[in-house]
Amino acid sequence: MKRLFLLLSLVLSAPAWAQVGQPLETLPIQDAGRIKPFDTFARESLQLIYGKQSYEGRSATEIIFTWLLVPDHWLKTPIIELRHSGLKEALKITSTDRYYTPEALFTNERLPLIAEELKSKLDRQEKLNPYFQAVERLENQLALFQAIRSGEALRFVPDPAGDKWKALPELQGELRDGFYKISKDFIDSVSAAQANGGTPQASDALKTDVKNFMDLAQKQAPNKYADMTRIGWELHFNRFHPFKWAWIVYLIGMIGIFLSMSANQKWAEPVAWVGLLGGFALHAYGMALRIYLAGRPPVSNMYETVVWVPFACVAIGLILYKVQKSKLLLICSSTVAIFCLILTDLAPTVLDARIEPLEPVLRSTFWLSTHVLIITLSYAAFFLAFAVGDVMLFFFLKDEVKYAEQIRTGTQSIYRAMQVGIVLLAFGIILGGIWADYSWGRFWGWDPKETWALISLLGYVAVLHGRLVGWIKNFQLAAAAVITFSLVMMSWYGVNFVLGAGLHSYGFGAGGVEYVTAFVILHWLYVAYVSTVRYGRPKIQTSR
Amino acid sequence: MPRLKPPFQFLASIRLAIFVILGMAAIAAVGTITEARYDSEVAQKLVYQSVWMYIVMAALIINLIGVMVDRWPWKQHHAGFVCAHIGIIILLFGSWLTQKYGIDGTLTFEQGQSRNTIMVKDRELAVFSSLDGNSFRPMFESPVDFLRHPPTEKNPFIIHLGSDEMKFVQYEQFAFRESEISGTDNNGDGPAIRFELENPNVNLTQWLRRENLHSGAEIDLGPAKVILADKVPEPMGRNAVIVITKPGSDTLDYVIYNKDNTIRKKGKVKQSETVETGWMGMKFRLLRYLPHSREKVTYDVSPTASPISVSALRFFFQGQEYWIGLDTVLRIYLADRMYIVRFGHRALELAFPLKLDKFTVGFDPGTEKPSSYESQVEVPGRGTVKISMNEPLQYQGFTFYQSSFEKDERGQPIASVLSVNHDPGRWIKYIGSMMMVIGSILLFYFKRVQWVSALNKKKE
Repeated sequence: MKRLFLLLSLVLSAPAWAQVGQPLETLPIQDAGRIKPFDTFARESLQLIYGKQSYEGRSATEIIFTWLLVPDHWLKTPIIELRHSGLKEALKITSTDRYYTPEALFTNERLPLIAEELKSKLDRQEKLNPYFQAVERLENQLALFQAIRSGEALRFVPDPAGDKWKALPELQGELRDGFYKISKDFIDSVSAAQANGGTPQASDALKTDVKNFMDLAQKQAPNKYADMTRIGWELHFNRFHPFKWAWIVYLIGMIGIFLSMSANQKWAEPVAWVGLLGGFALHAYGMALRIYLAGRPPVSNMYETVVWVPFACVAIGLILYKVQKSKLLLICSSTVAIFCLILTDLAPTVLDARIEPLEPVLRSTFWLSTHVLIITLSYAAFFLAFAVGDVMLFFFLKDEVKYAEQIRTGTQSIYRAMQVGIVLLAFGIILGGIWADYSWGRFWGWDPKETWALISLLGYVAVLHGRLVGWIKNFQLAAAAVITFSLVMMSWYGVNFVLGAGLHSYGFGAGGVEYVTAFVILHWLYVAYVSTVRYGRPKIQTSR
Repeated sequence: MPRLKPPFQFLASIRLAIFVILGMAAIAAVGTITEARYDSEVAQKLVYQSVWMYIVMAALIINLIGVMVDRWPWKQHHAGFVCAHIGIIILLFGSWLTQKYGIDGTLTFEQGQSRNTIMVKDRELAVFSSLDGNSFRPMFESPVDFLRHPPTEKNPFIIHLGSDEMKFVQYEQFAFRESEISGTDNNGDGPAIRFELENPNVNLTQWLRRENLHSGAEIDLGPAKVILADKVPEPMGRNAVIVITKPGSDTLDYVIYNKDNTIRKKGKVKQSETVETGWMGMKFRLLRYLPHSREKVTYDVSPTASPISVSALRFFFQGQEYWIGLDTVLRIYLADRMYIVRFGHRALELAFPLKLDKFTVGFDPGTEKPSSYESQVEVPGRGTVKISMNEPLQYQGFTFYQSSFEKDERGQPIASVLSVNHDPGRWIKYIGSMMMVIGSILLFYFKRVQWVSALNKKKE
């Protein structure tokens, strides 16, 4: 297995000279309240400025490092990503481009005026519309580029006198010389690699000099320096990217189940299980790494919940499968996992993957873990019900007599998943109330996040009561599983990204509203379509 | 078998339950949108505590009791159903107790300060009168709820003061404060100056005004202070410009202090003259000098909430129009007396004082992002106790939570804000919640037992 991964990673690796800067990736740097490897800093910076974690196939570390070495070259290279057409118009720059040179933006005559406008909005603490969010991002991009270029953002050396590490321009004596050597070695190995046709190797000199520099930096304040084991794991986490492998392996598993179910291919069954459990193991491994690196449960922002919920969804799917033996549960839960994990890679600006320090009120890991974990677990259960509901509707659309058996078990799965979700959600809301009572003195305060969790709960409780009096039969239950999930979408995503109000303000974000809205509306239309088709058919005798 | 006859049967029906559940969900949804559009106070008062909500709640309780009566006598498989539904009733009862008898306030104190008054959310309006400016007589004091019952021109809120009356005609939940300073001929009014501080990086123009002839006024601009006084104060270890007024003269004396308490400069300054301060290339220009001045405060209506908007009231008194903002005091000077009008949160006295020894803010290493707040508080009979986020203090039936802190112009913390809470319904709510959760687990468990037995019968 390990060899396979090695082979794959060799095939997938970027052009040859991409390895030249590798020794630099380890360098610990203090940034945004955390000590991280330079690799992480470089990826995050390039992501913010350029919108990707690599530039023309070269690693972020090397690109960011050359900003420092040859700043003038990069000033004239289009690397600032700017997509908001309204802002482009306001800046009077060509609207067809996606990337602009820092120079053009630094010298833009209109930008200072627009920035002034943004500042007055921020002073008045107004909510920013997408235009001003774009302005804010551009300001951050330019500021970060400037801070990297000048070395101000590059804090590699702890300061024995204070909490803030020393930036490059503050370095003196041995340390300055040490860093100079690193830069020289880097340039030497790049030119050497280009000269002899790209030998994929970092020079030994660079390796030794980086090592020497780290030793020197550590000597400044040994107890403040980075924990190198943690740095090593973080590098591994960055390079391996377990969540990507998780969805790929899940996909293999899902195809396996599908083949073994529909085409009755016996050989596909073991493949399905290896894929499903393998994906689950990779998913778990990635989350374990992230928990270790961040030092907290993985549910403190949108990105982390979009990784955690599908994990819980697969877990619930596996448990319900144990009870019901319906393979459809496995297909649905792995689909949810694949969908969510791909999403985390596709939308890095909305789902911010950075590991950042928490808001003060959230630094109580016990309550955070229990209350948020349980609520998100319920989202996972409802997500599963939603996915099964989607498939059920497809069966109803096709032929509900032919698929009567599938519909019966599917309905049971939905009902079960909803029950699990309701108990978990009610319990999670109450734990949230107890946490709120304990840490700021009110059990229930109609805060939008908790209110929407309650609305979701009420929605599902209404569905189960409707089933009791016979208003909701199999078809309506499938439809309800899909429709009611909109409430979960609202409390999970909408409160933070659309409403943007309330005490849970630490999770506020921006972006993606149009996609999420489209996702929800498409499902409503799907339900409406299937209902119309179904009610248009002549009545047939169906057993409930 | 249903035991109740129509129309009671409907009150105990699951159909009503569904309407009630959906009704609650709909009202709650409206509430969250209201909160996003305005603020939580508006949402609370106009949605969550509206008549509609109470009707739905009443229907819910009737329905819950009804459905349990309807199933009497209960059997074993009813355990979950009964437990969950009684849990909800207990939970609602606990919430009612909290709302009716609970106290929810804030306590703000500076380091070294000892306080026993907390501010609660309710608002009150008070008027005091004074003949000599030293002793005050309360004329009117009453809790008000202008958000629910706003005064209008047609239906004003009137306070009778002897033969006069104060007529409140407008209430705005969200407004921005505007102030205008103008000269007067009244010898009792305090002086005001308008000045400019300028160097290549900074350009500041501000008013500085004293309430009366002998009060002092100062503005802290971070690196420097500007002070308007009637005599030279002691040095304060800061860069400072001190402007001294003399009655009857339009020339002002000034003194400029250095940080090290030495005097840099002394002299006289007239309107529209400039003085070099000597620090940071800063120039001080006296733009206006008013020997006697008055400040007129008005409020601009804001359509939505913003973090700097406040609530404000407009009223007429003796033909004059006034505005008063929330948590401010307005002084009205008449020929023979003075009125003080106060509009603000209601204060509540605790039986014991708390003293803030020290307040500290921790930061994430190398950033300006606060990572923790902590108050060291002296509690009678307990010594010094630490109150921090997620670590409240329980004392004499009250709980004190670290809520936030107040900053000065330079972002330094000056006061700690605790939220203070007394909740007689707490344990009742906890018990109700737990019963609800355990009940639903049992409910679904028995549902499964029913299914399994039905399945077994089918097989047979």
